[in-house]
Amino acid sequence: MNLFTMFISAMLINNIILTKFLGLCPFMGVSTKVGPALGMGAAVLFVITGASIFSWLLYTYVLVPMGLEYMELICFILLIAAFVQFTEMFIKKKSPKLYQQLGIYLPLITTNCAVLYVAQDNITQGYNLIETIVNSIGVSAGFMLMLFIFSTIRERLRGNDVPKAFQGNPIAFIIAAIMAVAFSSLAGLV
Amino acid sequence: MQSIIGVLILLALFIANVYLYRANKNTPLPEGCENLKPDCAACGIAHCAIRDQKGSEG
Repeated sequence: MNLFTMFISAMLINNIILTKFLGLCPFMGVSTKVGPALGMGAAVLFVITGASIFSWLLYTYVLVPMGLEYMELICFILLIAAFVQFTEMFIKKKSPKLYQQLGIYLPLITTNCAVLYVAQDNITQGYNLIETIVNSIGVSAGFMLMLFIFSTIRERLRGNDVPKAFQGNPIAFIIAAIMAVAFSSLAGLV
Repeated sequence: MQSIIGVLILLALFIANVYLYRANKNTPLPEGCENLKPDCAACGIAHCAIRDQKGSEG
């Protein structure tokens, strides 16, 4: 599989939200406005890519040579938590403007299961470092795209007369299901 | 020997976490970001206690 195919596959065809149902908490929680949705998407893109690279390096150059592959889960969890702390601190110091946009969402990413899934998936699939980077960017770009599309739909929904029983999360889940059906049609693309 | 190395790796990651957590807490917030709060309107949980409190204050 070439890198472009891998990227498209990770972003659209095997979209992490619509096919794996991972990262649903921020997908539902931070998608009622376009601004916060894009902020969250950008933060997830940065953290997934960074955490995947460090996880791959840790697994390949530390755990495998020592015969400690069975420790990957706990090591990755600690690594992701540390990486999120480091990212928050770095942004605080170097880019106040970016912190203003992403600051409140960064701690939420520690508990986003999508980050751990991508780190583990890169190992399970046996990707090299370049493939790991491309796959991670593809998955997080897909996450960001879905968050953006979903937030624009939800913004338009605000002006509509939704029946009381469907207001809020119920109608959001119905929209997500329709989106999943629509994106499943891309399955034969690659 | 292998298990000792495993414990050492975990310990190193744990210490890195604690260190980065403390360093992050001690890093001063940039100007204008002192009172950043999540926008309740952006959250889907309609029956959250914080949202109710904000509503009654406002």
